[in-house]
Amino acid sequence: MKLKSFFAATTVVLASLVSPATQASGTLNVALHQDPGNWDPIATFLVSWGAVGSQVFDGLLMRTPDMKLVPGLATKWEFLEKNTKLRFTLRPNVKFHNGEPLDAEAVKFTFDRLLGEEGKKGPQQSNYNAIEKVVVVNPGTVDFLLKSPDPVLLTKLAGYGAMIVPPKYIKEKGSQYFGMNPVGTGPFKFTDYKPKVSLSLERNGAYWGGAPKLDQLVYRFISEPATQAAELQAGRLDVANQIPLAMIETLKKDSKLTVVSMDGPVALALRYNTQRGIMKDREVRKALTMAVDRDAIIKSILLGNAKPIASFQGVLSFGNDPALKPLPFNPTLAKAMLKKAGVKPGAQIQLDFRGPDSNFREVAQAVAGYLQAVGITVSLKPYETNVLLNDIIPNGKTGEMWQNQWGGWTFDYDNTAYAMYYTKQRWNPYDDDAKLNALLHLQRNTWDQVSRKATLQQISRYVADQALEMPLYSLNTIYGLNKRAKNMALPADGRFRFVEATVD
Amino acid sequence: MNSMQTAAPAPAGRSMQWRSLEFVLGALLSGVMLTLVLTSVWIFPDRGSLMDLAARLSQPFAHWDHVLGTDPLGRDVLARVLVGGRISLMVGFVSVLGASVLGIAIGLVAGYYRGFWDMLLMRCVDVQLALPFILVALTFISILGGGLGNIILFMVVSQWVQYARLVRGMVLSVREREFVQAARAFGVRDLAMLRHHILPNVLGPVIILMTLNVANNILLESSLTFLGLGVDPLIPSWGGMLADGRTYMQTAWWVSVFPGVAIMLTVLGLNLLGDWLRDRIDPTVKL
Amino acid sequence: MGGFLIKRLLQAIFVVLVVTFLVSYAVRLSGDPAIMLSQGAGSVTEQDLQNIRKGLGLDRPFLVQYADFVRAMLVGDFGQSFLGGTPVARLIGDALPATLALASVSLLLSVLVSVPLGIQAAVNKGKRADQFIRIISLVGLSFPNFWLAIMLVLLLSITFPLLPPSGWDGPISLVMPALTMALILSATNVRLVRTAMLETLSAQYIMVARSKGLKERVVLYKHALRNCAIPLITYIGLQFGNLIGGLVVVEKVFNWPGLGTLAFDAIAGRDYPVLQGTVTVLSIIIVAVNLLVDIAYGLVDPRIRTK
Repeated sequence: MKLKSFFAATTVVLASLVSPATQASGTLNVALHQDPGNWDPIATFLVSWGAVGSQVFDGLLMRTPDMKLVPGLATKWEFLEKNTKLRFTLRPNVKFHNGEPLDAEAVKFTFDRLLGEEGKKGPQQSNYNAIEKVVVVNPGTVDFLLKSPDPVLLTKLAGYGAMIVPPKYIKEKGSQYFGMNPVGTGPFKFTDYKPKVSLSLERNGAYWGGAPKLDQLVYRFISEPATQAAELQAGRLDVANQIPLAMIETLKKDSKLTVVSMDGPVALALRYNTQRGIMKDREVRKALTMAVDRDAIIKSILLGNAKPIASFQGVLSFGNDPALKPLPFNPTLAKAMLKKAGVKPGAQIQLDFRGPDSNFREVAQAVAGYLQAVGITVSLKPYETNVLLNDIIPNGKTGEMWQNQWGGWTFDYDNTAYAMYYTKQRWNPYDDDAKLNALLHLQRNTWDQVSRKATLQQISRYVADQALEMPLYSLNTIYGLNKRAKNMALPADGRFRFVEATVD
Repeated sequence: MNSMQTAAPAPAGRSMQWRSLEFVLGALLSGVMLTLVLTSVWIFPDRGSLMDLAARLSQPFAHWDHVLGTDPLGRDVLARVLVGGRISLMVGFVSVLGASVLGIAIGLVAGYYRGFWDMLLMRCVDVQLALPFILVALTFISILGGGLGNIILFMVVSQWVQYARLVRGMVLSVREREFVQAARAFGVRDLAMLRHHILPNVLGPVIILMTLNVANNILLESSLTFLGLGVDPLIPSWGGMLADGRTYMQTAWWVSVFPGVAIMLTVLGLNLLGDWLRDRIDPTVKL
Repeated sequence: MGGFLIKRLLQAIFVVLVVTFLVSYAVRLSGDPAIMLSQGAGSVTEQDLQNIRKGLGLDRPFLVQYADFVRAMLVGDFGQSFLGGTPVARLIGDALPATLALASVSLLLSVLVSVPLGIQAAVNKGKRADQFIRIISLVGLSFPNFWLAIMLVLLLSITFPLLPPSGWDGPISLVMPALTMALILSATNVRLVRTAMLETLSAQYIMVARSKGLKERVVLYKHALRNCAIPLITYIGLQFGNLIGGLVVVEKVFNWPGLGTLAFDAIAGRDYPVLQGTVTVLSIIIVAVNLLVDIAYGLVDPRIRTK
């Protein structure tokens, strides 16, 4: 035992030498798995941008951790002239971090930029095409003129591209500089950025929503989930946004750590190639779905950190129909159906998936095991993510099924469904269903949320009926936390906003 | 004929024993591993693919069903380790065989004839050496896709260089030696020269390089799987098991330790054999 | 000697050009940066993607893009990362010291460990010490680098919180990554030194030196070591390319902000400017090291230099 106490003593001494100075009170250390490289709101769509962007910038509207839209830089809004005009009343006395005032001019500048040449270079612009232009009514009021209905517009105005940026600062310094030294109206101010290494923010004492309690935020870019977990265990990290599922139990056992798991926006399914071989038969597709025990996968491999789904959307998604139930797990019936359809035992199919995704590797193997039990031989083909998403899927080079993963950040089925089922969309290389197309159009072009919901639910029922895919699960958003961090208000979409957060 | 090579005086006692011990141990380890791996498909007809989610991650040395425990999908670790050897050994041996044959041939030609061919070879060598292997692997594999054949092909294409360069260097120094020049003066033809005088002198270090590379390539396969590329994960391979077991190191150590032990034993056996072989061929030849 | 140098220099430049050309071409064969940048965007149309491509200069033919790259590189402009427009020169400038530091410390550590061990093994050939050293070196060869790295982190960061598990926060962060690399490198180096020493020890001139009554230590280090230099130098030169390759994996595990991680992420994200820039720098380094090795080779063994 003496050896142990010697080690303990040495450890304490060495640990104090090792710990960086940022462990001083009032500093929160956050891990992000990716560095977006540019902090300009119109330049990116990556989730990791949101983890920082929502601290530095505000939008006209904002979304709370429980996915409700609340006033942000706008205190109220109303639809005018048969929904072709959207009028915002701006919050008074708000200043950017550099002292510029937040007024209608700033809003106009932001959207002119987003919808103009600058925005053209980035991926955000296409989300806001419903906006014709922005007009200044008076310094505290601004009008959005709309050219087409967009029922998801309000949600999108809480999104990245619509975050308000300082006109004078950008005009003076240019977009390049702005991208590396962002200035906004948010609760935290930018202080330092080392590309691919770290980003530091400090509190904005003059924040309109009340000054944050933390002094400093330090983000570190760590792409390996196992490394994030190791840093948590070493006490050098307070928040980790990507931890390996396998380590959840280990982390929970650590007395200084805790793991938070909540419903998330990410949905996973195995999409079927309806043009290939045995997959052309709808009954075969249904049988394949029924052969896989999706609940067991969720319980054993994902350790309960996911929810079963019946359509390609999460539990929180608008358009989700709780009454729609997934096909039951019934391997006996599945075998019979396959036999009836004339599928011989030993039939070969190929499942394409993202190689670097270590969690899905296990899921894929489990699926293969279940299909093996009903006489289907599966070969798994790992692809680099980029190749799968850009080449294999859009060009229709897939096997009989592939890993379909979607992070519907709008939490609205429209965003997903259109891309997945409309003819010739990027993510839909094989299916061409006029009836489905019509339904998709219908829900897009109306402001009536009630009828939209009904249509969306109809769509998901139709898709399930056609067995275009095997919905697997909706993955929880999981964070690893050091218990010293309190009042974190962690959101399911990864867009942190630590106004109330404190550290012991 | 080989007057320049001083035969090491027959060492007495200990070293003689060591040499035999080397052989015995090396042959034993390699032999046992090889046998186990080759017979694995008969011992385990399901090839370790039987999944049992209820029994996932069960402890080793607890049941006779799963002597070495189970992996995250409930598959038997012992079965997978033995069956997995097939892929790993195949990757190791075939790639090294291909690379060495190619490399030796080219290296001999370049070193012996010098001139334009030598320069061309060396430029190729330089280009290949200037490309960090892993990056090339990633680029290659993202174009061609993963899979066993591509991985082996890729290893051959990027490793023949090592042999070529080594052999060329050896040939350069050997060919200046007096006995070679004497033979040439006598009019011994090139091919015979290469075969009888030069090749035996370069084989020693090449064999050691080969044995080292078999091990290396087995490990390389695991790195590629670690980086997300590699063979179909349903097919067990030692490298794949190591990579997959990474996140379970703190909770289920047996998932990655046993394949690691298998690798180590095999590599150790191969290297011991390689050492013994080198000693037999020529103990004074430098690597 | 001068002509030899110039020739090798020209060849070196040629090699770097070929390498960058091959890599630039290969990486464009699959994947699309525009898609990477618009991931998650609701309904991205082909027109949107075309706009993005145009903005990145990807709608031009490959040779034009490559020529542009070379031209810009000659004035030191490596372009901007597709991911956010950060100047590539800055990214490389930040990452290069990290990789060089790690590479050199690892190499140094490895040489410091393997030379004495190798000599000891050779001198004690056949005896306990020799057996022991050889077995240890073999064991060292049997672990994949990432596995070793993870084990070290498990031991030295989590079980005993002594060292930081990732990142570069100061010299102490170098310990584990360098140790990982050095352990693997030493495994081969020890055997190399040993074999080389064995050969020279039994050569005739050594016996002559011994019979002259020179001290054993002098004999060993002065004469024998000089003969080991050739294979050792060659192998270290050869190893440098592999060293860089192995570094990528180690850098990933330790989140080391070096060129390896940079390149790896660039391939995955099809960030062409970053990849091209990184590969250029890496191949320049490797080619330079090889050049130095060749020169040293020529210096040590004059017979090679002819022709």
